[in-house]
Amino acid sequence: MTNLKRDNFFSRFVLTLTVITVSLSCSYVNLTHAASSTSSSSSSSSVHTNNWAVLVCTSRFWFNYRHMANTLSLYRTVKRLGIPDERIILMLADDMACNSRNKYPAQVFNNENHWLNLYGDNVEVDYRGYEVTVENFLRVLTGRHENAVPRSKRLLSDEGSHILLYMTGHGGDEFLKFQDSDELQSHDLADAVKQMKEKRRFKELLIMVDTCQAATLFSQLHSPGVLAIGSSMKGENSYSHHLDSDIGVSVVDRFTFYTLAFFERLNMYDNSSLSSLFGSFNPNLLLSTAYYRTDLYQQEVEKVPVTNFFGSVMKTIHTASAYRFISRKDSNQPQFDMSSHQSSDMNAQRIATSSDPEKQVDDPDTNVVKKGTCPHAEVWDMMVDKFQSIKKVDIIVNYGLVGLLTLVALSTWHSSSSSSSSS
Amino acid sequence: MAEISETMGTELSPSEENRKVNSETSIFDHKTMRKTKPGLKRLTLTLTVLFSFLLGLPWLLKSVEIYRSPLPFRDIDSLSNEIDSNPFLYPCKFHVVVVNLDHSTPVKSNAENLGFLVTNHMSRFADANSCGTCENNYTVSVTLDSGNNCVQHQDADSSTAWRCGAITDFNYDQTLKNEEDFDDYLESVLGRNRVYTVVVVNTNEGDDNRIRSVVGKYRHAWIVCKVSDMNLLTEKIAEIFIKIFVNGLKEQESIQGEFIPAGADGKIVLSFNLLNANPRDWIYDWDFKEVDEKLLAPTLKALSPIANISVESQVLYHTPKSSYSYWDAEHESHVFSTKDLPFFVNSNEWHLDTSIAAGGRSKILQFVVYIPSANECPLRLQLPNGEISVTNGFISPTWGGVVVLNPPNCWENENGIHPLRRKVSPQELNQIFEVFMGQLRQLFGLKSTGFYKGTSGTSVLLSSQRGFTEWELDVLARQHACYNLRQCGATLGSLSRLVQSLPRMIIKDEIGKQVKFSLEAAKLAQSNASQGIYDASAVNSRHARSLAEDAFFHPSVMSVSYYSFEHNFAVYSPFFLPLSLHVILAVVREMKRYKQGSRKYNAWRAVTNQNSD
Repeated sequence: MTNLKRDNFFSRFVLTLTVITVSLSCSYVNLTHAASSTSSSSSSSSVHTNNWAVLVCTSRFWFNYRHMANTLSLYRTVKRLGIPDERIILMLADDMACNSRNKYPAQVFNNENHWLNLYGDNVEVDYRGYEVTVENFLRVLTGRHENAVPRSKRLLSDEGSHILLYMTGHGGDEFLKFQDSDELQSHDLADAVKQMKEKRRFKELLIMVDTCQAATLFSQLHSPGVLAIGSSMKGENSYSHHLDSDIGVSVVDRFTFYTLAFFERLNMYDNSSLSSLFGSFNPNLLLSTAYYRTDLYQQEVEKVPVTNFFGSVMKTIHTASAYRFISRKDSNQPQFDMSSHQSSDMNAQRIATSSDPEKQVDDPDTNVVKKGTCPHAEVWDMMVDKFQSIKKVDIIVNYGLVGLLTLVALSTWHSSSSSSSSS
Repeated sequence: MAEISETMGTELSPSEENRKVNSETSIFDHKTMRKTKPGLKRLTLTLTVLFSFLLGLPWLLKSVEIYRSPLPFRDIDSLSNEIDSNPFLYPCKFHVVVVNLDHSTPVKSNAENLGFLVTNHMSRFADANSCGTCENNYTVSVTLDSGNNCVQHQDADSSTAWRCGAITDFNYDQTLKNEEDFDDYLESVLGRNRVYTVVVVNTNEGDDNRIRSVVGKYRHAWIVCKVSDMNLLTEKIAEIFIKIFVNGLKEQESIQGEFIPAGADGKIVLSFNLLNANPRDWIYDWDFKEVDEKLLAPTLKALSPIANISVESQVLYHTPKSSYSYWDAEHESHVFSTKDLPFFVNSNEWHLDTSIAAGGRSKILQFVVYIPSANECPLRLQLPNGEISVTNGFISPTWGGVVVLNPPNCWENENGIHPLRRKVSPQELNQIFEVFMGQLRQLFGLKSTGFYKGTSGTSVLLSSQRGFTEWELDVLARQHACYNLRQCGATLGSLSRLVQSLPRMIIKDEIGKQVKFSLEAAKLAQSNASQGIYDASAVNSRHARSLAEDAFFHPSVMSVSYYSFEHNFAVYSPFFLPLSLHVILAVVREMKRYKQGSRKYNAWRAVTNQNSD
């Protein structure tokens, strides 16, 4: 009878705790969901007026030379295609050019032929070294700076801006490592983008990520007007392109290498479409499958020129007439010349290149990492697959917490009762 | 523990006890009964420990509490709802004055009829869904003046009063020819009130179809004609009221609300740059200080309700353009077409954004004078129809404007070794700044052509020396106030959503204050707007928006810096979970023991009571 009573009491106790925990965590989950659902999706019919680029290299250390070379190459490309320095935020987590192991001091190359020094004139690094943190990166995106931060370090975009966000570094499933210590998670990125959208800090945003499992970083994005390109699918690695035996490390990543190869053929006046860029990525050469997320993007990628993001085309209007406010006497005779022509449509025609439908097919021969063959690896793979198929992670976590509580309670109860009976 | 309580209550003498035991052993059951009351000591002890823990709990919660300055969420919601639901409508007052010069007696019914016709036409012209207009919130009053007596109709209060015979006092024949003087005279007659007036001067001479209408630089216009077709005249008056005075001749298709170039903190920096493309040919300098004082200062003062504008200037060298131009023999000049304009600005060589005066969120408008090098001189802009541009300049919305200034003689320094040092002459400066003023107006969405071709004929627009006429400033003030308030509402709305979504985020007092002041300024802007005080409303709305943006962009509002519930649980559970479980379980066990003991005792008591009975 006492046993029954004790069980009764205990179960009630556990139940109460469970209810408290679950309700707490549920309310938390509800709140976050409510916040995400109320984000205004007012589509403003603003006109594209300017271009911005945020280029981030997130990894430190000499052996990550290629990440800095990637970023500097992109920097050079967007500058060549017309984005001014004051509209580029360049973040480099380390200083390879002045590294003591660099055989070519103050020079950075992205090819073993050493034709092009990426660290030449006019490289304006906005955030360098230990300044490149997740916090600073999110501050740049959301615009929440201390007052003392100068204009050149801020992303001063508006509702007519197209922003290119390029990131490279070491990443994994839904995260990108910064500085070898902290990490940017996919929901951090999605949250920042959501806030940017809410405050109308961009019209269109292209996120380009060169890292392992880059596609997973986009999984939480929900804001309209966002286009995402990743170098590899989930479970795939992104590989470096080639090793420079002079420098002693790999100098460029494959995805970035072929992106640059595409852009080297272009100049400011070109109007190749985004789909031709997408089509230029060959999985056989990349050794990974490039991933595009276009479902949040309203326009057809076949018709959008790459210079919408990678270059800067100013919208201009001809000034039809001066305002004669200085000489009073002349103003009595207004000139009836109707020369109020505005600048004609710059982009008359775009060549829509057809995207290769075969590009998504992953060639099994090029898969460098073969699946494990030993039995425990298979079991592990199966388990991982099972866990990944679970949708509601929050609930699992909550159950886990409740289970933990019960376990602790039980063990305490058991130990105390056994100790008391022994005494 | 059972042993202890059993040995406690043995005070009886052995002989007595033996007897008692003998009599009671038959009914006494060790399992279910006890002879003594269970002890309270251990229970009290454990309970004390538990209660001291519970007492400590508020202290702990207090010490880990997050400070959240209370934000007026309800006020924010009501503000944004208000702004969304009813668009910003200003009261506008219009006044039509018809001066009959034939000295016939005016009839009251004529005035009523005229007012009705004008109102009718106005509702046809009205633009429903644009921000900062006076949709149906207007009054039209009419005055008929025949020189010696007047008839007034509708709302003829003191502010719209027209001094009877005011024009006939004046020698109108001559003054009408000099429109500037007539404009100033009308201003002195009508006074500085916020009523838009159209004065119709009915001349009986001249032919019927000649209507000359002029819009002055204050808040009035006048039409000189022979009144024959009442319908045409009233349509013209209504068009002037709505298209010019209310809508301000906005270029509807190209300039929209988001092009308004005021920064989020209500500041604009006008940066004037003189670019010498190749200083080996010639080096130009300018006397900017004089320009600033003479030409720009009145404009900046006029625009002060709309934005806090500051001015800076610089001279740059080695700044080639990045687009191509070619030699055109017909025009005897190097020509670049409008197709090349997007590539004209060479952002890699033109280091324009060097301002230290501009804060993080203020807007910089660049105004560039480009002096071409000798091998591309003279440089002219060709329009798509083959003509050469009069202004030789262009704008880029929200960025600024460019003017190309060609040196007077391009072959001057053909064989020279040293560059020519020149100063931009005052005439050239005047020309340039007239174009710049046109560009600034264009950036604000205003036309500078000096005439308006409406459906009912052309009107001449006089230009103000300040760069913006009073009615244009009114239009700008109205639109900026409306835009700012919308932005303010949207910003506060998203701030409140953000804050509510992060329950563990610290909200500093500063943010609370900024939100409070922003709401106050917004209320003030609304009340000023409803009274028709446009400039004060613009100033208030600017403050409201800037404070709202400050609160939203406060550096402490970062979701990454704050822990979620899971984090907290993970931090505190290793400390408190094992300890608290022990304490709670001890109390539970003691309670059970006490209950069990007292039940046993009661059972024993019941048995002894039965026995004694």
